[in-house]
Amino acid sequence: MEHFLGLFAQYLVNGLETGSLYALIALGYTLVYGILEMLNFAHGDVFMVGGFLGAGVAGVLVSQSGVALLPAPLVVLLMMVVAMAGAGLLGVGIERFAYRPLRNANRLAPLITAVGVSLLLESVVQVQVSPAPVTVRSDPLIPLTVLRLGGITVPPSSLLLFVVAIALMAALDRFIFATRFGSAMRATAQDREAATFMGIDVDRIIVVTFLIGSALAGMGGVLYGLQFATVNFFMGYLLGIKAFTAAVIGGIGNVRGAMAGGLVLGVLENLGGGFVSTAFQDSFAFLALILVLMLRPQGLFGQAQADRA
Amino acid sequence: MIRSRILALTAVAGLALTACGGTTGTGGQSGKPDKVQIAAEGPFTGDEASIGAGALQAIQLAVEDFNKAGGVNGTQVSLLVWDDQHSAQTAATLQAQGISDPTVLGVVGPMNSGVVLGTLQGLQGANPPLPMVSESASNVKITDQSFSVAHRVCARDDAQGPADGKFLVEKKATKVEIMDAKSDYSTALADQVAKYLSSNAPSVKVQRDSAQHGQTDFHTIVTHIQNFGADWVYFADEGPEVAPLVQQLKAVGLTIPDKINFLGSDGTEDPSIISASQGAYLSAYSTNVTASPIGVDTAASFVTRFKSKYGADSVSKAGPFVGSAYEATQVLLQAIKASPVNNGKISRTDVQSRLGSGSFGTIFGTVKFDAKGDVAGGGIYVYQAKGTDMVVVEKISG
Repeated sequence: MEHFLGLFAQYLVNGLETGSLYALIALGYTLVYGILEMLNFAHGDVFMVGGFLGAGVAGVLVSQSGVALLPAPLVVLLMMVVAMAGAGLLGVGIERFAYRPLRNANRLAPLITAVGVSLLLESVVQVQVSPAPVTVRSDPLIPLTVLRLGGITVPPSSLLLFVVAIALMAALDRFIFATRFGSAMRATAQDREAATFMGIDVDRIIVVTFLIGSALAGMGGVLYGLQFATVNFFMGYLLGIKAFTAAVIGGIGNVRGAMAGGLVLGVLENLGGGFVSTAFQDSFAFLALILVLMLRPQGLFGQAQADRA
Repeated sequence: MIRSRILALTAVAGLALTACGGTTGTGGQSGKPDKVQIAAEGPFTGDEASIGAGALQAIQLAVEDFNKAGGVNGTQVSLLVWDDQHSAQTAATLQAQGISDPTVLGVVGPMNSGVVLGTLQGLQGANPPLPMVSESASNVKITDQSFSVAHRVCARDDAQGPADGKFLVEKKATKVEIMDAKSDYSTALADQVAKYLSSNAPSVKVQRDSAQHGQTDFHTIVTHIQNFGADWVYFADEGPEVAPLVQQLKAVGLTIPDKINFLGSDGTEDPSIISASQGAYLSAYSTNVTASPIGVDTAASFVTRFKSKYGADSVSKAGPFVGSAYEATQVLLQAIKASPVNNGKISRTDVQSRLGSGSFGTIFGTVKFDAKGDVAGGGIYVYQAKGTDMVVVEKISG
């Protein structure tokens, strides 16, 4: 029994690590859906581009022999800043050129466009950057000592992922629920037309929404790279689908729901894979989605609304 | 207007055809064929480009060498490049082009077992059937289904499985974590190793896990390995998942070789895994169904030509199937050359029967196929990660 509890605790910790990455990316889906009611299919690929930007910074600042040219924390910080800025701008660019012209078109048009943008990003990275996985030289950047808490092992890279993700989510939560701009965002999400009448610059809100969501995805890409020491052009596909699943489980459009949904999904997947079978690990995520949609179609945190999905 | 132009074109084409028939009618048995094409098929880009790209270089070199030596009675062989990206669906689309063109006489590849199994029926069903010689597809079903088009120069999984099991027993493994990557190739091989261990070394404890294709997050499997207390990890993988796996084993303190040992299968003796895993892969073992050309006397001039064409470090970067890809191309081209030429044409049916009956001189010695299309006398080679290279340390005969 004690052995079982130890194992359970380890899977739980593993799940929180995986889940915090899902949550970070799920936020981008949910923020955009909340305001535009569109599924930004390209979001997973913005995460991928963030991962490559981080890998690029590490490639420049860590020599082939594995020596960091600047102090390690500074390199990690630079990776994060570059990836967040790059991914954020990419998100804003996608909104400006691919989605804004279609804002008043029928709902299918932006969805198809988003699929197109997603494939475009993947192809560009595959052809112009690398068709094969690219190594992120993480060893000189992250201490290699293993942290042991009781019987549970936590690699420092996983701890970094968890702490940074939770800190960013807490900051985002404060931003949305305790600032003027945040309340303008919530107002726009509730009723775009009414928000315009109240003097809110809706275009600006939408740009900032894409900026925040994409920057979070960029950060996710860096944390992924540091943890798994590899990035590839298709990494945004499955992770994007899982993060979207997390957003739906939490109640799409609901920021706190996306965070909770991500963590729940990560934990379920790791418990399922750990105790049942690793061969079906990915299936547990989608099994959870089906169950949630059957029992609570609006998601864990969502409000039932007649006119919304 | 348009209609009359089409009519004119048809008339010209008809004249041209008659003209052709007239001149080559005297070609006879040993004449010069009008056109000879072969195709190279494999994952030349995409997630398995690390095994495909180098194989393609070897095939291109083999065709070039063959053409320099005179081609088929003076006709230069042209090479079609079919990049299936490890997808049977893409492969079928590409193969349709060869199936409908009778001057495409054979395929070197496909490389992945899953792709071969998904497209064999199409190749066999072509009229006439389009023969293939794979350099790397080792799943037993490929030659066990009595498809006469199927040939391969690599060994079969059922030779590799027991050899890998034998190696684990030799190394006195006690608890083995056997992993597959959920593909036709991988699951079959992992099953073979598990079967060998349970019947030949019943005291060895085995735990099974499956990775997803392209997986990078190995949290759960690493915890499984820790909890099981494995002293060996056996991963029947084609390559790309290994680097993150060993990296994450190292991250929880399971370093190779002092805390755990690692044995992988073909694809995992790619030396780029050492740098991709930031050194975590050092001292790991890997087996392959084909030989490395490095250090083989009969392949020495191939290695020299390869290096002068593609660069000094090109052979070690070319992946595990560089030698067998050259070998497979040699076999196919010699079978084509030995086939009769009638009216400037070589028939695929003849190429296929030559493949079945002939013996072919290659960089690894003489190759002959048995009735199923498997090569006689294939061996399994054990490599180890040392420094920046994968070095052959042992040969196990099945």
